[in-house]
Amino acid sequence: MPPPAHDQSSDPAVQYRGVTYRYPSGGMGDAAPRPAVEDITFNVRAGECLGILGPNGGGKSTLVKLTLGLLEGAAGDIRVFGRSPAHARKEGFVGYVPQRLGAELAFPVSVRQVVEMAAMRGLAAWKAMPRDRSDLVDHAIELVGMSELADRPIGKLSGGQLQRVMIARALAASPRLLLLDEPTVGIDVAGQQRFTELLRRVQRELGLTVMIVSHDIRAIAGSCDRVACLSRTLHFHDAPQGLTPAVLAEVFRHDVSGIFGDVHVDAHAAATCTDPSHVHGPLTLPSGPVGMTVSAAMRTGPAQPGGSDARD
Amino acid sequence: MPGTDLLFHPETWRIMLPGVITAVLMAVMCSVLSVLVVLKRMSFIGQGISHAAFGGMGIAAILGLTALGAGALLQFGVVVGFCLAAALIISWISAKGSTSADTAIGIVLVASMCLGSILLHISIQGKTSAGPGWESILFGSIMSVNWVEVTLASLVAVVVLGLAWWFRRPLIFWAFDETAAPAFGVNCTLMRNLLLVLLCLAIVTAMKVSGVVLATALLVLPAASALALTERLWPVVVVALCIGLTGVLAGIAVCIVFNWPPGPSIVMVLCAFFALSRAAVLLRSARTPAARSEPA
Repeated sequence: MPPPAHDQSSDPAVQYRGVTYRYPSGGMGDAAPRPAVEDITFNVRAGECLGILGPNGGGKSTLVKLTLGLLEGAAGDIRVFGRSPAHARKEGFVGYVPQRLGAELAFPVSVRQVVEMAAMRGLAAWKAMPRDRSDLVDHAIELVGMSELADRPIGKLSGGQLQRVMIARALAASPRLLLLDEPTVGIDVAGQQRFTELLRRVQRELGLTVMIVSHDIRAIAGSCDRVACLSRTLHFHDAPQGLTPAVLAEVFRHDVSGIFGDVHVDAHAAATCTDPSHVHGPLTLPSGPVGMTVSAAMRTGPAQPGGSDARD
Repeated sequence: MPGTDLLFHPETWRIMLPGVITAVLMAVMCSVLSVLVVLKRMSFIGQGISHAAFGGMGIAAILGLTALGAGALLQFGVVVGFCLAAALIISWISAKGSTSADTAIGIVLVASMCLGSILLHISIQGKTSAGPGWESILFGSIMSVNWVEVTLASLVAVVVLGLAWWFRRPLIFWAFDETAAPAFGVNCTLMRNLLLVLLCLAIVTAMKVSGVVLATALLVLPAASALALTERLWPVVVVALCIGLTGVLAGIAVCIVFNWPPGPSIVMVLCAFFALSRAAVLLRSARTPAARSEPA
């Protein structure tokens, strides 16, 4: 698979300018809903990996749909490679790895057939799959390390393998931007580590721009060049080094109350996380027994040094 | 057994040939569609559509349309139109989010049955010659199929199979992963509505032979049996097709030999095939217990 033409210009791959989106009344079961996202402004530079971190209900899914051009009527301006999101999607610029696999896992298709679905886009009904697209599928499967399991039925894969297939499917569409929605849900710690390595390798090899949207700090910390925090509005937009628990606590303090339930935090993890001296370079969190999320970091923010709030 | 002689009597086949051809066309259409219906868990909506056909038959009866001559075409159009309206109402109600799809189907199903019953009752009361009998609408009548209906069924089969083949790739993508499909350029609303249209056409054709009540059996049993036997997509389609065709032909033979109604005979055979396929799965897993504990 030849790397897609890399945007060498200074134009950002994705550009949001003062974007506000409000779901139509009744559409979300709310009579007079407040905006799902409000006054969002950010850029994703071509070739970089931007992580968007935020609590559940903070507008992440809305942001994904807006970037894919699946929601219309947003105020402000969104550009994906200089085009409207819907236009960019129609041209196949965006490869999407969905949040939780909404796929029917009982479906009698193999790994290869799933990846082929994306490669057959726009192919005339009477035409068989051309050789170059077939090679693209092979390469996408190879990139994610699933070549040996290419003929395995999709229902017989582990969570991590399934996620790799979904990434291969997105890659088979020859995108310039890879958009991942909650990529680490349902994947164990070792699987998440492998995911980070895989994503870095794929991005490097194909020269892709990557956007990861997640509520899980570990999905983002190791993979991204920069991080933005989204909780209806965009609070923070910088390199992960700056994403200290203090910052997280500050930007999420108000918005997460009531969104997260009780979070049981491993005492060691909390202590490590709250001590800024442990945050060197790209933020890495201890892979302790507890899924360390924004909520955990927030609850163990600077107000409670040493994680006095931590239980378990 | 006198019925066995009847089975090989040329006169039987002369009388039954239109019905048998329609049944074969019905088997091919429904078996192919059954794969999508089962995988997309749409069997209940199929049930809703087929019962709506009863309401459509009521409207056709009150309009004085019969299955004879050009009337067959009009009758077919009215019933398909009514089924389509029912399918779209179900889709629309469930898409609004306030009512679940199964509630919407439950309501449309009984409303259509009531409407059909009342209209048929009125049309029979107001006429000297009785329209189509209730029993034949509900459970099918293979003997009453005429050549006009055969021609119509052939055209419908060409359209249904042609559209299913033409849209096979987006249909499969939509059925496999409706969440992600739009991001890959698949128009999910179009695919859902297309499948509903194909189901309406297939069900109204199937109704002649298997009746309103049992038409959906053909949209579920072939794929349900095939999925127990293979895990590959195109083999599932081929096996479903074989099961559907064999089931329909064997069912017709049973119907002739025992002089049973055709719809129930066909469905009984298909149910037996399903039971056999499940038994095969049980047998296979009992023989290879290691296969079940194989790590993913």
